[in-house]
Amino acid sequence: MKKSFTKLFLIPLAMIAVISFSMVPVADARPGGGGGGGGGGGARAHAGGAPKANNGNRDVRTNNVRSTSTNNVNANRNTNINANKNVNVNVNNNRGGCCGGGWDNDYHPVATAVAVTAAVGVTAAVVGSMVNTVPAGCVPVNYGGYIYQQCGGTWYQPQGGQYVIINPPY
Amino acid sequence: MKYKLLATAMLALSLAAPGIQAQTAPAGAATPAANAVNPASIQALKDMGTHLQSLKRFKVSTTLTGERVLADGQKLQHSAAADIEVARPNMLRARMFSSRAEREIFYDGKQATLFIPAQKYYSTVDFTGNLGELVSKLEERYGVEIPLADLFLWGTPAAPLDKISSAMNAGQDFIGTDLCDHYAFRQGDFDWQIWITTGAKPLPRKLVITNRTDDARPQSVSLIEWNLKPAFKDSIFKFTPPKGATAVELRSLDKK
Repeated sequence: MKKSFTKLFLIPLAMIAVISFSMVPVADARPGGGGGGGGGGGARAHAGGAPKANNGNRDVRTNNVRSTSTNNVNANRNTNINANKNVNVNVNNNRGGCCGGGWDNDYHPVATAVAVTAAVGVTAAVVGSMVNTVPAGCVPVNYGGYIYQQCGGTWYQPQGGQYVIINPPY
Repeated sequence: MKYKLLATAMLALSLAAPGIQAQTAPAGAATPAANAVNPASIQALKDMGTHLQSLKRFKVSTTLTGERVLADGQKLQHSAAADIEVARPNMLRARMFSSRAEREIFYDGKQATLFIPAQKYYSTVDFTGNLGELVSKLEERYGVEIPLADLFLWGTPAAPLDKISSAMNAGQDFIGTDLCDHYAFRQGDFDWQIWITTGAKPLPRKLVITNRTDDARPQSVSLIEWNLKPAFKDSIFKFTPPKGATAVELRSLDKK
């Protein structure tokens, strides 16, 4: 038992280390200010206490994902139509272009490279760009297990403490 | 003269080479077909499935490394973690952590709720059924995947073993300090490997799934930790909206 507690404690620490290392500027905003990041077992990235990942510096190429890994071998895998659901999210729009469907999948195909280029110049809602807040009057929609903000024809996906503008998920 | 000899020798070799390949190729191709599906490896899956279905209350934690393939085939890895508390036949709570969001799923046998603590948004749908049905229906109807979904399907008809086209024993390995049997399977477009603890109470400790539909072969690696004597009470499975929470419609996939 002791062993597994130690492990449980180490894993989140390691994750936090990885996250803060890879997402260069860890969000300045640390809600609640101070408080010293999680002493005991609750070190997992709980909303409120822990720093939020900031993807503002992410290269635009990281938005152009052609496929993803899969997390289970049985669920719907053997039945026809959904067989390719995690594959080629941009091309094979079984999910209406939305998420790969994995519980870990914090990625939404914001656009193909072409669409990103095409959208540059339209200042209002450049797909793939990050914003800190969404306009007033947006409606939250839960699709594919993630909640998006729909603001007229523009869709926002929460991303850590920010939002990224995405192609409509359906 | 020497050069000429060498050239002749090389020519002879290159001429001979196709012959050698032609002779060995059929033999090599025939071997896997003979015993592609090792029955003992399938039996190990069955035994694990039976044991998993017999567990009444448990807590399982996983850390996952997944991959995304970019347009040019370059791969990016990402991390996620989840804790799942289970009381069979029909109660489950999952907490999922990634760089994007923390999310929770509650299922008390009557309602399933997805909750996003940071924004206090939640979506609730009525549902009755066991955990295998929950896993399948949430995925089918709403595109919501429960972490380690296979845990609730192995040992049931929803995880048909006859879809496995190749099964082999890959020896033994340690996951943490647990000695495990390592098996490798091929099932449809996916190659997968599992590490199952040895002994009479087999539990999966590691799962690797390779997606073969993309030649970059994106792979997920899940490490699995078990607590078979969890302290939770049944009340944790019931979702009560916190103060200031907003209900959001859970949009089904087919509703376009």
